[in-house]
Amino acid sequence: MSTDSKQSRVKRLLAGIIIAILATSAGIWTARAVLQHKTAMNELDATRFPTAREIQPFELIDHNNAVFDNNALRQHWSFLFFGYTHCPDVCPTTLSVLNSVAQRLQDLDEDIRFIFVSVDPERDTPEQLARYVSYFNGDFIGVTGTPEGIEQLTKPLGILHMQVAAEDGSDAYLVDHTASVLLFDPDGRYHAVFGPPLSADAIASDFRKMLKAYQ
Amino acid sequence: MNIRLHRTFTVLLLLIGSSLVMADATLTIGEPWIREAPPTARVMAGYLTMINAGDTPVTVTSISSPDFEGAEIHRTVIEEGVARMLPVSQLEIPANSPLKLEPGGLHLMLFDPQRPLPEGETVTLIIHRSNGSKVTATAPVIRKTGEDHSHHHH
Repeated sequence: MSTDSKQSRVKRLLAGIIIAILATSAGIWTARAVLQHKTAMNELDATRFPTAREIQPFELIDHNNAVFDNNALRQHWSFLFFGYTHCPDVCPTTLSVLNSVAQRLQDLDEDIRFIFVSVDPERDTPEQLARYVSYFNGDFIGVTGTPEGIEQLTKPLGILHMQVAAEDGSDAYLVDHTASVLLFDPDGRYHAVFGPPLSADAIASDFRKMLKAYQ
Repeated sequence: MNIRLHRTFTVLLLLIGSSLVMADATLTIGEPWIREAPPTARVMAGYLTMINAGDTPVTVTSISSPDFEGAEIHRTVIEEGVARMLPVSQLEIPANSPLKLEPGGLHLMLFDPQRPLPEGETVTLIIHRSNGSKVTATAPVIRKTGEDHSHHHH
């Protein structure tokens, strides 16, 4: 056996060992990444759907009287909250939390929109919504429409709302409504839901994890 | 020394001034505040802590305000994700305990302010006890558009 062939056998052996090591570490690395991803998604406060859900066609208007339909939920992330401007406790509290979420996510190079959908279209005109949402954050978007339009969006999403007559019989009625915050992905699909009690820290950190998993 | 005393005194004064006017030995009011209403809102929410320093429970039958048409105690309850507001007929404050009215829970619903109430204004709240005595508190109107940290701990 020549020295040459001995050398090449050693080389081949070494190459084999190196490949084996690389393959094993790649395997471990992948497994760990998958596991970490799984763990990260399990640790969410939010309920994230295994498959984001397509939503039914709907047509509403935003606080500038522009059409707000399924397309308005595409090309960017959207946080949706349902409420009404006469709501004294839950809605201001939630919009304040969402304003804190917006501030916590400011460093991200992402288009993230916060949308307040009225479940009281009888009283909530676009003008009224414009003044209301901008009180919390100048970039927030208010959405209203016909009662049918509101139904088109809320019903398939399982958003409940019902008027509760005022005790004095005036038009100062209250509206019971779902207090969750819904997240839509840039494909305009229903991605995750945050249930009350809401915390800006939890929403912001969950969003970062979901954003990473989405990319 | 003088400065420190002065500072302590100022802090004390601020604490007293901002939180309570006492007319009751056992029931005191801490941290009352009214959430500044976003434009368009006719209903405002008020929050406060009622502290019962006595050895027997205290019952509060209502809270009123001369600055509003009406006031009701409500509780926000969330059942299966739906927020509902339930009127509360009276509040029982256990002996030697505080009871907190805070965002997302018990709160005061204040209907139709008698005058515009932007941040900086104050509102008078009168707490009525079942024994007929009253406690009056002065609540500042506060603009709050960020997360309220006090309701984290549950």
